[in-house]
Amino acid sequence: MEDRLHKIIGYVSELKDVSIVDTFEITNDLDIKGAISIKLPDNQESLIFEVRILPEYPLKTGNSESITFINIGLLKYKHIMKSGSICIHTSHCTDLRKKIEIDFNSLKRWIWEYYINGKEDKHYEHLILNPSPIKTAYYSYLFTEVSHSFNKGDFGYFEYSLMSEGSYYGNKIYNNVVQEFKTKYQKSIIQCQWGIQIKSLRRVSSNHGIYIYIETPPANFEKFAFETWKELEPLISQDFLKFLYDFEVSNKNNRGVNIPLLLGYKITDNEIHWQTANLEIGNFPIYHKKENQKYIGYFDDRNIEWGITKNCSYKYFFGRGKMEDKISQGRILIIGVGAIGSMVATTLARGGCTKIDVVDFDVKEPENVCRAEYSFLTGINDKVTDISNYLHSISPFIDVKIIQKGGLFNSILKIQDWEKFEIQIHETEKKEFFNQYDLIFDCSTDNDLMFVLNQLELHNLISMAITNKAKSLVCSTEIKSYDWVINQFEKILDNDIEDLHYPTGCWSPTFKASYNDISVLVQYALKHINLRLSQDISLRNFVVETNTDNELNIKLKEF
Amino acid sequence: MNKSEHLDSVIKTHQITKEEKLLNKFRERNKEVKDDLFEHYKGSIYNPFNSGSYAKNTAINTKFDFDLIAPFKRYAFGTKGTLKEMYEDVYDFLYEKYKDVAKVKKQKVSIGIEFYADSENDIVKIDVTPGRELNEKQYIEDSKLNLYVYSRYGKFDAGSERIQTNIQAQIDSIRNRATTEKDSIRKIIRLLKVWKKTKFDYPTKSYFLELITIKAFDNKTIAGNLWDKLKTVLEYIKDEVTKDSFTLKDKGNSSNDLADTLTESEKRTLSNDMKNILDRIEENDENIKTYFPENAKFKEDKKEENKYQVKGSGFFTIPPKNERFG
Repeated sequence: MEDRLHKIIGYVSELKDVSIVDTFEITNDLDIKGAISIKLPDNQESLIFEVRILPEYPLKTGNSESITFINIGLLKYKHIMKSGSICIHTSHCTDLRKKIEIDFNSLKRWIWEYYINGKEDKHYEHLILNPSPIKTAYYSYLFTEVSHSFNKGDFGYFEYSLMSEGSYYGNKIYNNVVQEFKTKYQKSIIQCQWGIQIKSLRRVSSNHGIYIYIETPPANFEKFAFETWKELEPLISQDFLKFLYDFEVSNKNNRGVNIPLLLGYKITDNEIHWQTANLEIGNFPIYHKKENQKYIGYFDDRNIEWGITKNCSYKYFFGRGKMEDKISQGRILIIGVGAIGSMVATTLARGGCTKIDVVDFDVKEPENVCRAEYSFLTGINDKVTDISNYLHSISPFIDVKIIQKGGLFNSILKIQDWEKFEIQIHETEKKEFFNQYDLIFDCSTDNDLMFVLNQLELHNLISMAITNKAKSLVCSTEIKSYDWVINQFEKILDNDIEDLHYPTGCWSPTFKASYNDISVLVQYALKHINLRLSQDISLRNFVVETNTDNELNIKLKEF
Repeated sequence: MNKSEHLDSVIKTHQITKEEKLLNKFRERNKEVKDDLFEHYKGSIYNPFNSGSYAKNTAINTKFDFDLIAPFKRYAFGTKGTLKEMYEDVYDFLYEKYKDVAKVKKQKVSIGIEFYADSENDIVKIDVTPGRELNEKQYIEDSKLNLYVYSRYGKFDAGSERIQTNIQAQIDSIRNRATTEKDSIRKIIRLLKVWKKTKFDYPTKSYFLELITIKAFDNKTIAGNLWDKLKTVLEYIKDEVTKDSFTLKDKGNSSNDLADTLTESEKRTLSNDMKNILDRIEENDENIKTYFPENAKFKEDKKEENKYQVKGSGFFTIPPKNERFG
């Protein structure tokens, strides 16, 4: 231990422009604590930092650096915590001497960029605050941007729905979605931009909170959230304080009920963030005085219980990666949601698609789960119902429409000779139906359907199917590709139809392949389609072939 | 399989003489449109003439290109008449004349007349391209015409009046080479047209494929059997078409560059298509049938005998070979 201390002191002493001003010592917690001075370039000024080094150093503690540099006088600068510690993220290094050098260089870089040059980052960082539990549970409020411009001082109600319960660092959390902003007279102003499923939660759970748009962040140095309600007072109008007072009076029978307060403020010229704080009826942090018979309200100096909010707007939700706009912004139809179709569906949902229609008349059975995007928990269930629920659970922006049996997709689509039928659907009507989509994924593996769709000369049709054992995936993307697909299966590819899986008690054999076998092909194919669309090169039919003679080889053959 | 033999069969089954009856239907409709134009614009028009692949000796029987050029006199639409007015006037005339028997639509530089299927389900399509001589009576001297661009045509924006060409010279240049080099240039052009027909609404004009084939023959040593020759031309297109320096001079006006009739994305797609053809045929000869199919109508079929024990036909528990999974 002493040896390590001496090494650290020695290494720090060697650093240029750094001097130890308070001796490094081992604390009762076995940390090393001391203070250093760093001479600034170009002048004689120095900055002093308290240094604390944890026993894990040079390794990280959890995901955090195990060395901290603290100067409480620098709070107004960027990237500094309320404790005065500088936020540095430095490179992994297991060598003590090198790690010290790296970390002190990071500190010098912070001084150069933020202390000396006052750098303003383009990247916005949220307020620094610690969410408080209410009793023992946490509450989160998820919202989206809304197409409404709030004016400073606007206040009213917002409606929210409980979406789920879960755990948050070991404590209970209730996750809520903000549904709508209303005036103080409960008149609708604007709804959050969720998909149908999230909006429909209102039917099950509808609660109200209060919002106020204060425009300026409720924070010191624009980053440390206020600690007390009193600090908020300069940003709040008397009208709003009176509104809170009246609200509490008229809800006195609901004493003890928690009411979320959303405080809205600008984070960029065009963007608002909402931060929630908890109010408890009967215990609002307000008081008032009568001056000249007039109500004058105040906040008291109790601490604010901040909650958790998250802007889940489309651009943030898919901010880490999405598919090409030609796919994600399109209206999609997926015909057949078996193994391939369900994988296509979930990939598109995670890829940012918001309008997906599905058609399949089959029922999901437990034995489908092992190689498709289904869950055992939903038991025996229509595939379209199952996949629809699953897609809605992935993306809050998706609207999945189930094409019901009995419409175009009944056998009528395949009837060629209409003369003797009372109802007639002509080619133009069929075309109109399919042309309302930007992309149609036919994953039905129904050769007859492929033949019929081929005749319609659809420009937006992509069909996908695999050979037995998922050796190859055949994907047609061009108009009138029926012959090409059939030829691939009949003449070109190895489609071993003798060695199939025969489910016990069933006459109908199925192909052999695992989820991994199939999904690697489907993802490869979807990535290729996405790539071609991004390159603005017309889609061509293609085959993804695997070779497992030695190591796995995957080859895409575009026609 | 012998790829050259297959390609020969492709050409043979696509000969227009095999479709004499259909060809005559095209000829008749073509004459009808030609006469109607001449009659309607009497005194304002020179003799309409054919410019399509039939005229150039490069036609195939799955797509008769019967393109009709309507060469108008300089003041046919008034002294201040614009090319747009010419185009609109010809469209209005053809629409009124044929609306009950055909679909008449505006295309890039031409007007398409697609006659409704007759009792034998045959569809005849004639494209009419109106053009106007540059100056009064100059057409008699130089055969040059100005065309109107109705909808975006490669780098030419819709509404452009910048296309000026000598269509007769275009026809002559292709026909001469296709006739004198009928075992090479003509065959390759026909094969490329067969390939183009496998793609729906392909943006590359036939004239582009004709010119680039000739340019390949002029710039490369093209020898060997039919497949070797085709392969060399495909490689030439693949390598050249996306180069910044690539040009394709119009034989009717050397200041026109046919390369400008394709957008950069269309050029990338064309190059990519050539690469795919070469790669796939290299991997498996059978794929040649995908890109260059015989015309099934004139293919001599070898009938399979009915046999027991044919694998892949399907059985009550064994699906057929073309069963797709997923």
